[in-house]
Amino acid sequence: MSQGYDTATPQVVATQAHGYRANFMADQANFERDALQYSRQLYSAAMRMARNPSDAEDLVQETFLKAYRAYDTFQEGTNLKAWLYRILTNTYINKYRKESRRPSEVDLGDVEDLYLYRRLGSEDTAEASRTTEDRVLDGLVESDIKAAVEELPENFRMPVLLADLEGFSYKEIAEILDIPIGTVMSRLHRGRKAMQKRLWEFASQRGLVPEDAERP
Amino acid sequence: MSHDCDCGDAQDQLYQYLDAELDEETAAAVRSHLEGCGGCFNSFDFERRLKLVIRTFLTEDMPETLQVRVKELIRQETPRT
Repeated sequence: MSQGYDTATPQVVATQAHGYRANFMADQANFERDALQYSRQLYSAAMRMARNPSDAEDLVQETFLKAYRAYDTFQEGTNLKAWLYRILTNTYINKYRKESRRPSEVDLGDVEDLYLYRRLGSEDTAEASRTTEDRVLDGLVESDIKAAVEELPENFRMPVLLADLEGFSYKEIAEILDIPIGTVMSRLHRGRKAMQKRLWEFASQRGLVPEDAERP
Repeated sequence: MSHDCDCGDAQDQLYQYLDAELDEETAAAVRSHLEGCGGCFNSFDFERRLKLVIRTFLTEDMPETLQVRVKELIRQETPRT
């Protein structure tokens, strides 16, 4: 007969409970330290997804809550930032997305690579081109850039945001969006092209490019 | 990839170069091409600066209340049994 069973159990339970409580508090502190440092970045991405501050705040809040609730499944050494973005992206898709789930296309017609640069570089002298390039890079305003991103269909907008705003690698973007790396690259390529076409239009409207360069 | 990298190769790899996706050897070949080719250098530089403008303008100021609210929500969570 085991002497220890009856007497030891309550102690073991109490010790486990105490240990659990201590782990829980430690988890909470770790989570606040490790995860919340990304809140500003997540909010910036959420703004470009949801397109308004109130939904963006809800998105970030829900992302952190979901992440926290699953934090005990989180393995040391896993990419915490990428994991948070995966939760953010999925939360957005499930909750806020009104567009169809079918990937949509960007109409690029015969838009060439580095569209903006090539259009700006078509001036008579290299020096004139450099001046125009500087004027455009200095003259485009926040709302131009935001509009150019927000107008992208979602399947192009997400890779562009993750690469250009967050600096994720193609491999990380593939994991976050659950698409092959080749798809990441082609969507990034097309998304950036579509953005450049739009930025050219903004630059043109703002009178940042010489009139004769405006003729296609 | 060999050490030779012409304008076509460089342009094909522009985004991968700027996104830091090339292996060291390929990146070195592109870099060495850029040192000898003003035209390519300029296009790379323009795209690099554009990427920077995009990142800067897309970064939002987060409402201070949000961070506070998230912390409160997390602290309200009780341990699962």
